[in-house]
Amino acid sequence: MRTWEYKPARDLGLAGHQRWTSVRRESGLDDWLIQSIWWNATRLGLGLMHRPRVSGLGHLPAHPPFVLVANHTSHLDALVVVASLPRRLRRVTLALAADDTFFDSRPRAAFAAMCLNALPLRRHRMGGHSLDELRDRLVGEPCGYLLFPEGTRSRSGAMNPFKPGLGMLIAGTDVPVIPCRIVGAFEAWPPHATQPRPIRSASTSGRHCDSTMLPTPAAAGNR
Amino acid sequence: MSDIARDRLFGVGNAFDHPVVLWVSIALVALLIAAPLAAVLLRRTGRIDDAHFRELLLRCLSWMVLAPLMIGPVLLGAAWFIGFVFVIMLLCYREFVRATGLFRERTLSGVVLLAITALGFAVLDHWYGFFVAIPALAVSVIAAVAVLADRPAGYIQRVGLAVFAFLFIGVGLGHFAYLGNDTGYRPLIVWLVLCVEMNDVFAYICGKLFGRRRLAPNTSPGKTFAGGVGALVLTTALAALVGRFVFDQTVLAAPAHLIGLGLIISVGGQLGDLMLSSIKRDLGIKDMGTLIPGHGGLLDRFDSLLLVAPAVFHYVRYFIGIGLDQPARTLSGG
Repeated sequence: MRTWEYKPARDLGLAGHQRWTSVRRESGLDDWLIQSIWWNATRLGLGLMHRPRVSGLGHLPAHPPFVLVANHTSHLDALVVVASLPRRLRRVTLALAADDTFFDSRPRAAFAAMCLNALPLRRHRMGGHSLDELRDRLVGEPCGYLLFPEGTRSRSGAMNPFKPGLGMLIAGTDVPVIPCRIVGAFEAWPPHATQPRPIRSASTSGRHCDSTMLPTPAAAGNR
Repeated sequence: MSDIARDRLFGVGNAFDHPVVLWVSIALVALLIAAPLAAVLLRRTGRIDDAHFRELLLRCLSWMVLAPLMIGPVLLGAAWFIGFVFVIMLLCYREFVRATGLFRERTLSGVVLLAITALGFAVLDHWYGFFVAIPALAVSVIAAVAVLADRPAGYIQRVGLAVFAFLFIGVGLGHFAYLGNDTGYRPLIVWLVLCVEMNDVFAYICGKLFGRRRLAPNTSPGKTFAGGVGALVLTTALAALVGRFVFDQTVLAAPAHLIGLGLIISVGGQLGDLMLSSIKRDLGIKDMGTLIPGHGGLLDRFDSLLLVAPAVFHYVRYFIGIGLDQPARTLSGG
């Protein structure tokens, strides 16, 4: 018989708002129920409004850990990518979202944490400790991350240079990185628009690469 | 639904008919006003420091929210009370699974949640046969569902934790909720909660005044023999004194029964407290949650009831019955 091992929730002891804004947050049965309702409703809504065409799902790994990276032009991007994942992967995928946009107020933080299952990414004060915490969780849990390496939505629709965070996040691990290409989201809901338009979008997952194929943190930082 | 059942479930007109309910409600309001004033007085006279004062005030504020939440549903009607205890059961279960890590086993957690919901229905329906059948069925389903994952490593721990969570929280608090099916549920519940809460207070005060020898130093270093014995004597006296009015004109009004009930409440309450302390020590955590400022989690507040409620329920049921003059299966109609 194995030695008994208790692993209390990482966020035990954190109250309400602290829990939503913590990278230690772990979803329980209640969060899972809310997320199931949210993602099913999102799939339905996206299907009706944007009829997304999904391809390349065969390139996705069978199980975590993994990092999905995608071009970022619209608030629809995370919805399109996560909603297109098979359920077994969707349940373990956490979107890394900007803390100054999605976690700057209690209602937004509650929505991002409970519905989107997002973790806050401190993009303007991302220290080594924060990255270590994210990396430990990625490998230790294990789980999957959805990351937008450009750091913010492109205002022109064209891809911007990558921030160094992605390389630093997976440096020294063998976590596969799966590139995803999203088409049509910029036309459907560009950064300057207040609401989406019903335009068709597409999401394509490519073959995975690993940390050795990414620009080094120094090189990426110089770009 | 019959008029008798409707009156019990939703009737508020006779909420203060029983003297125990009336006097305890008045005393509670007086205490909620007096306690913060006493804290301010103690601070002004320099008897306590700032940190102690803030902690006392935080506890008083928590009680100002908790006390109406606890007494309010009892006064509003049995349906409100049962609904309230059901919500407490769910929140306590949530705290337990997050503290032990059982929440990662979603299927098992879901099965326990369904079993607790079934218990809640059996209680509201006043269907005793179903109420006593659920524990046996739930344990079998938990053990069987855990097999389906085809993951023998850790099977005993997963099933053990799930069964323990269900029996500890679901069945423990389920018996407390079932008291709501008795015609005289208001004085019975008020008496029970009063004795359980005062048992904690008596243990704390006696421990502070006379406590030297520790009761269980490895489990809960703050508890002393003097506190335990003091609580046993004072709670038994309180239970007998107030119980005399609650069980008036029944066989339980005899002194021997009242003392027996008082001993059950005091011993059960203290053991429930120590049981949760053991769980927390084993897990290496201080509190089960953060829901109640100054107290910790809900389980930290309701731990004493978990063992007391089933024991008192079956004692009372054996001698005078629970809800015998109330129509059974009010919702399902059997």
